[in-house]
Amino acid sequence: MPKAIEIDSFSYEYPDGTSALSEITLSIKHGQKVALLGPNGAGKSTLLLAMAGFIKGTGKVLIDALQINRKNLKKIRTCLGCCLENPDDQLFMPTLFDDVAFGPLNMGLSAEQVKQRVAEALETVGLAEMADKAPHHLSASQKRAAAIATILSMAPKIITLDEPDGSLDPRNRNNLIKLLRGLPQTLIIATCNMNFAAALAERAVLLDKGRIVADGDAKKIMSDSQLMTEHGLEVPGAIRE
Amino acid sequence: MHHAHIDKFAYQDSPIHRLDSRVKFIVLLVFTALVISLPRTSLSILACYAVGPFTILVLGKIPLRFAFKQILLVSPFVLVLALSCPLYDKTPVTVAFGPFVWQSTVGWLRCFTIIGKFTITMLALIALVSTTRFNNLLTGLQWLGLPKVLIIQLGFLYRYIFVLIDRAHHILRARAGRKLRSLGFKRELKTASAMLGSLFIRSIDTAEHINIAMQARGFDGNWRCLSKLQIRQCDLLFAFIATFFMLGLHLLVRPVLQ
Repeated sequence: MPKAIEIDSFSYEYPDGTSALSEITLSIKHGQKVALLGPNGAGKSTLLLAMAGFIKGTGKVLIDALQINRKNLKKIRTCLGCCLENPDDQLFMPTLFDDVAFGPLNMGLSAEQVKQRVAEALETVGLAEMADKAPHHLSASQKRAAAIATILSMAPKIITLDEPDGSLDPRNRNNLIKLLRGLPQTLIIATCNMNFAAALAERAVLLDKGRIVADGDAKKIMSDSQLMTEHGLEVPGAIRE
Repeated sequence: MHHAHIDKFAYQDSPIHRLDSRVKFIVLLVFTALVISLPRTSLSILACYAVGPFTILVLGKIPLRFAFKQILLVSPFVLVLALSCPLYDKTPVTVAFGPFVWQSTVGWLRCFTIIGKFTITMLALIALVSTTRFNNLLTGLQWLGLPKVLIIQLGFLYRYIFVLIDRAHHILRARAGRKLRSLGFKRELKTASAMLGSLFIRSIDTAEHINIAMQARGFDGNWRCLSKLQIRQCDLLFAFIATFFMLGLHLLVRPVLQ
């Protein structure tokens, strides 16, 4: 079975010449829940953009055995759904229904299939009653859930989430953890919230200054207090106890 | 942050809210054209036309206070235009209203006609926006043949104007929190231009992120939407009543009152 993500010696520089990612080599199996850890500016979001084919660098990036190029881009974006950091950027349609239907419609599904996908996705994130609401009438946690629904409706095999716990209170963060735990897809979650990562991921990839510093069992990496402190992070409370 | 949205009553339920957006939009267009085309001496007919939007607002459970507040917000430009009329046209004219007869000028007549037409057409517009969800309005406009690019622009405008207002409020608060004394006109201007610049750059950032979000969900330049609009019997009945009302005023009442 092909790997969900296969990255080989990928490097990327910003237009001003600053190195954003250097020699990234990473392989993720289907079904894994991976936390991309790192301090601010480590290159987590850039790596997620590279996986979705939004930035071009040197090296090889394969998504479900498909190399990222113009020809494969549509297939790749059906296979990999990316959820941006700010839900307001993700929700751009006048109503939640239209937003969740946007992806399935672009996939060429029939009206009936689209309606079914929208209903299922909204049901999964607990927003079935909100379909006709405008995104600016939703709360921060509802917007976050809605942003995830826009991806779920496309039924991707892989989902990347950029700081999904941002601006959520503890109760809503726990609800999000429950929701993400229940998803069968491969999840790649970029975060610097260690407790959130510890609650979800079985594998952790630590990035700093655009390089992979550590990759392996999430608990083992996150419990290494020296490693965490060195890279501006902390040992999560759940592991410390 | 919560805003006083112009469409805050559009999510209510009433017979008017349930009407098809296309029918309401076409009625509004015809109504506006008729009101605008009225001659300047037709103040009494204008009053008759006002019955239409008032009825819609009442049936749609839209508070009249809200409607007039919205009109006041956009009235300064029209008021300046209207109040300048008496200054340049002082031709005397005799005005009769029932048993009352008095002397006035054409300028004043024109002034009241402009204010009347503005108020009535604005009331009709507010009645449409307050009883129609914006997405239905956009779908209706698309069905009526408005270019897709314009529909997309309007959709984005509606979606992101509130985000932009939020950001502007945050920037203003940040400024107020640190501005402890009067800075003088020059520095105030400099600060304001920096704030506008920051807002502009953040808007560009947002636009780039939206573009990524759209492409990530397969957007290829074609705007696809599921139309949920449907013309029913009540829409036809509304169209019939509206046509009867407007045609009645145009053909029967106008010659009598003039």
